[in-house]
Amino acid sequence: MESRVVNKGQISELLDKLAKDYNLFAPVKDETMTLFRRVSGAQDVLLDYNNSDISPKGCFLPQNEKTFSYMYTGDSLEINKPEGAQKTVLFGARPCDIKAVLTFDPVFEGVKFGDEYYSSKRENSIIIGLSCTKVLSTCFCYAMGGGPCDITGSDLLLTEIGDKYYVEVITEKGQALVDAYSQIFAKQDTAQLAKDKDELAKKLSGEFVRKVDLTGVKELMDNNFELPYWSGDDQKKCISCGICTYVCPTCHCFDIFDYTTGDFTGDRIRCWDSCMYPEYTLEAGGHNPRPTRKERIRNRFMHKIKYHLDRYNMVGCVGCGRCVIKCPVNIDITKIINDLKEVAQNA
Amino acid sequence: MPNPTALTPYPATITKIDVEAGDTKTFTVVFDDPEIMENFGNQPGQVCMLSAFGEGESTISITSSPTRGKFLEFCVRRVGRLTSVLHQMEVGQKIGVRGPYGNGFPYEMMKGKDLFFIGGGSALAPIRSLIDYVLSDQYRSDYGRVEILYGARSMDDVLFKSDLAERWPAIQNTKIYTTIDRPEEGWNGHVGFVPPFIEEVAPTPENKIVILAGPPILIKLGLAVMEKLGFKDEQIITTLEMRMKCCLGKCGRCNVGSKFICVDGPVFSLAQLKEMPPEY
Repeated sequence: MESRVVNKGQISELLDKLAKDYNLFAPVKDETMTLFRRVSGAQDVLLDYNNSDISPKGCFLPQNEKTFSYMYTGDSLEINKPEGAQKTVLFGARPCDIKAVLTFDPVFEGVKFGDEYYSSKRENSIIIGLSCTKVLSTCFCYAMGGGPCDITGSDLLLTEIGDKYYVEVITEKGQALVDAYSQIFAKQDTAQLAKDKDELAKKLSGEFVRKVDLTGVKELMDNNFELPYWSGDDQKKCISCGICTYVCPTCHCFDIFDYTTGDFTGDRIRCWDSCMYPEYTLEAGGHNPRPTRKERIRNRFMHKIKYHLDRYNMVGCVGCGRCVIKCPVNIDITKIINDLKEVAQNA
Repeated sequence: MPNPTALTPYPATITKIDVEAGDTKTFTVVFDDPEIMENFGNQPGQVCMLSAFGEGESTISITSSPTRGKFLEFCVRRVGRLTSVLHQMEVGQKIGVRGPYGNGFPYEMMKGKDLFFIGGGSALAPIRSLIDYVLSDQYRSDYGRVEILYGARSMDDVLFKSDLAERWPAIQNTKIYTTIDRPEEGWNGHVGFVPPFIEEVAPTPENKIVILAGPPILIKLGLAVMEKLGFKDEQIITTLEMRMKCCLGKCGRCNVGSKFICVDGPVFSLAQLKEMPPEY
């Protein structure tokens, strides 16, 4: 694996070039929050951030996405599909969010049914990750198999060290990019930078506040669907607002609806949806398999720590901590994991 | 044939509409592209996503057997927004259809066996595809005696009236039992709910497969009766339904534990159901 160096002074030049040659998605500061958006150049990009409020999942699964447009008059019908994705660079995503994209892959690129919209974006995208330099009190990526400087899923990973970015080339896509911009991605001796990165990773791994241990939790849950725990006070607090699913980088559930303009034409749209909403599983006939917050909370957390593992052999949580920060009633997945372990062991 | 366009439906035309009951119609649908119709390859028990453009999509089971010809029948009860739009449609109008989805009934495993079908309300629709498959000229000799027990709320709510009264009884080695919930003038058949009626008819478990479909309450009570009659979990087959948006195992909402009804089901044996959380 090759590694290169980018001087901090050249990062603006790199971002400007990327914005010119690609659709560039990068972290930006909106009025009240940090999120990922398409940017027109370096001036828009926020480089100094800990963890964005909204994950970059929208780069691959947009919040609203047109799947096709139609012209329908009753006895005539025409369907037009949008063109495939354009060449895109996702810059500055944190390792946890990149790991989250990997949990999307088996869902959307399934053996039986693919998803052309997702695959087209995935194939045409290059992911440039950015190592964390701080650990927040809500972070627990280490417990989900990740880490603040983890290369998994990135095509290139940048780590800020002094006045330089240490660049690890991880995939062929990443290699092609550094070769194309070789005047910015300098070939230098990186032995010291590699050592510095290891030290940074080691230092950060000691800074996690939350102690979470997933070992054996899935196995305990395998035979413990019904637990009085799910009806406990902690769970009753939930107000079904859906913010946990909105900010979650691994939540991928969607709704599909028609947006019609009233003149025989319209678009079919898919948009983010939330399993925390009562209507999510409400059938037209009135039956609802998950009628109360108890069933919905159980389903969401079981999905993260068991169902996704059962189905795809991957934990459905990356430990970004966003749901912990944003939940208005302080429901905390790390507490739930630890509680479940205790409750199931005593069940 | 897996749909290569995934979320994009194929244009299709409604060629016939049969009024089954006050709130239920059966739509016969043919794809506009004959090649798609020819290669659709639907199996008994599979489902499709039907599009009413401007309203959206819903999952509807295919009620016709592929043995009956190159068309699809969908029996639709008017319960929600999309089904209300479908009910206003006329012959000649276009809808969108994508599919076929789901695992379908294990009809190979049923070969050489007697079959006992139990349907409640509009749930005769999904099992009718299998009834017509096993009763087709082509496959009739592969299966033993076929009995059908069907219950509806009232006389008017009885679906597929001519199938139940004429077409199916005319086929050799079949027996039809029907019941309605409350007595009604002009009804000479059985009166009462389906689960106690099963107990009364008392099918025996020897070399028999039971195919049970109905609203969740009927499935739960019906399964208990079948167990009481001595049927083993592997002999009982049912088909589930939940709200779905993609039918491709991606949109998330039809999961029961780690399974998605749309791709792992909708057909499950009782043995499989017992491995899953009771959340359907």
